[in-house]
Amino acid sequence: MIRIKKIGIPRALLYYYYYPLWYEFFTRLGCEVVLSPETNKAILDQGIKSTLSEVCLPVKVYFGHVAYLAGRVDYLFVPRITRVEAKEYICPKFMGIPDMLKARINKLPPLIDTTVDAGKEGNPVQCWVDCLRDAGNSLTADRKLIEDALEAALQAQQFFWKRLNSGLMLPDAIKGIAIPEIPVNSSSKPLRIGLIGHPYNVYDPFISMNLIKKLQQLGAVVVTPESLQADEIEKEAASLPKRMFWTLGKRMVGSAFRFFSSQKLDGVIYLTSFGCGPEALVEELVARTAKHQNMPLMMLTIDEHTGEAGINTRLEAFTEMIVWRLKYANHIPPYGESVHCR
Amino acid sequence: MDLFLGIDVGSVSTNLVVIDPEGEMYLSPLYLRTQGQPIKAVQQGLSLLNERLTKKDRICGVGTTGSARALAGVLVGADLVKNEITSHAVAALHAVPGVQTVLEIGGQDSKIIIIKDGIVVDFAMNTVCAAGTGSFLDQQASRLNLSIEDFGDIALRATNPVRIAGRCTVFAESDMIHKQQMGYSLPDIVAGLCEALVRNYLNNIGKGLEIRPPVVFQGGVAANAGMREAFKKALQTEIIVPQHFDVMGAYGVALLARDHILEHGEKTQFRGFGVTNQQFQNSSFICQGCPNACEVIEIKQDESLLARWGDRCGRWTASKAETSA
Repeated sequence: MIRIKKIGIPRALLYYYYYPLWYEFFTRLGCEVVLSPETNKAILDQGIKSTLSEVCLPVKVYFGHVAYLAGRVDYLFVPRITRVEAKEYICPKFMGIPDMLKARINKLPPLIDTTVDAGKEGNPVQCWVDCLRDAGNSLTADRKLIEDALEAALQAQQFFWKRLNSGLMLPDAIKGIAIPEIPVNSSSKPLRIGLIGHPYNVYDPFISMNLIKKLQQLGAVVVTPESLQADEIEKEAASLPKRMFWTLGKRMVGSAFRFFSSQKLDGVIYLTSFGCGPEALVEELVARTAKHQNMPLMMLTIDEHTGEAGINTRLEAFTEMIVWRLKYANHIPPYGESVHCR
Repeated sequence: MDLFLGIDVGSVSTNLVVIDPEGEMYLSPLYLRTQGQPIKAVQQGLSLLNERLTKKDRICGVGTTGSARALAGVLVGADLVKNEITSHAVAALHAVPGVQTVLEIGGQDSKIIIIKDGIVVDFAMNTVCAAGTGSFLDQQASRLNLSIEDFGDIALRATNPVRIAGRCTVFAESDMIHKQQMGYSLPDIVAGLCEALVRNYLNNIGKGLEIRPPVVFQGGVAANAGMREAFKKALQTEIIVPQHFDVMGAYGVALLARDHILEHGEKTQFRGFGVTNQQFQNSSFICQGCPNACEVIEIKQDESLLARWGDRCGRWTASKAETSA
């Protein structure tokens, strides 16, 4: 009897962008996909132990997920992602991930580290076709099977993107469940908060300290860049005097500009991870534009600390500030001589 | 008299303020050291207040703020639990109605609040780094064998403040030692240190913000004349230090509690001054439910559970009544 091959996929980094594609492909090839559990303290601790201090938190978390999977699977899928769009790059840390893993983690199962490179003219779909085809060739000699699996995988990914664009939050879209009812917790109009940040930070409840849930508990409706169309983001990002050549950084800038100009939001929160190189630049661009457009913006920087008090204070203060602004913007000030004399 | 109480439990100090319905200080405010024991500090503060109040005085509303606001809120039965930013802004607006910028430096954190037409429009707090807060000044004062109370006045005697690297307080410290060994005068070094901290504050926390007068400087560090002078020099504007600069958080939350009660016409949840004599047990345990291994904090009063928090998933928090009424 042929044993089914187990392919490990870390629930981290670009999992949040491409999981449906990967899952469908390997499953169609007849493999069993093993996804690591949601990030927890043990995974983070393991990740911190096995990386160098230089890398950002999400990469540390990725290492933790790899270490978790290492003894449990036959192969690990850790593609070497360099370019997914023409003339743009993914963060250099992502490109080097297969090498960093080999250098830092002992007893790794064989890595499937085929390259994703859209090249100079390449398109965002073909680069994945190339990568997965190479990956498939290392697992089976059945060409037909690979091509069929590819087709199904691309369809699954398209379906996922469509669900995101329809306004479904990423965790729901990735699971493929039905649209949940948005809880309305009071009669008052809820705040609409745009939440910008890399999906691997925003949607990892451990890394983000349940940011989305916290905002919802404070009475806010959370809108994320995933609900935007790719060309909307592209158009906004193109307004920069010089082209942003980091794909993910461009997503942040484009989404932020879109959020600012749409005027449907009451405020924007930008979640960044400490030690992110591209973000150091992008953050500043976003902050300046927010100020120019008079949009309330709060930067939240996350790192390894687990104390939630600091985050809570900032979220409370930020939402309160917005309520305050909305309530009194065109009226008398709530504090000061005019109101308090009785 | 109907009175309102504000309690600010911070990392270094615990402050209590009692105001009348007009928002004026009814008693002189209390400024106590927390010394790592927030429960004790709150109890001590309440018992001191109780001694000063007369039979006719009634606490009609209580608010808590500061990093231990949730804990304090449970202990006293707060009507309102508010974050420090809002509390500080409200107090500053009350003390200096036209204020546009609030600089606040406390024991472990520092913040800046930008106000326009009486509303908060922007704020920032120190991020990962705690450089340039009161604790650092405290440490350096003791390293120089000075009492923190004298520190500011010594800075004022400087004729030529030395330049000290203010980017990081660890660097600042080694730079300062170097300057001492070179033979610079004490006042010049102390003043240089104040300027370095102010530079650091403005570059980090005040980054990209428009600081417009009137500027109010509050928090414990505002007591330091050297820091006031350094801010004045850096911002080229008058620095207003309100009379009750060191208890502004408590003052603000007292005002907010008053408004909350008056607006909603509610009866206070205040548990009374008996809290002073009650025994509270705080303990923590590590939840074994999942690999997150959250540290859950538990507050009991005479063996009955008052509150629990600290768990990420809410399984323990949910097992008792809401902490903040």
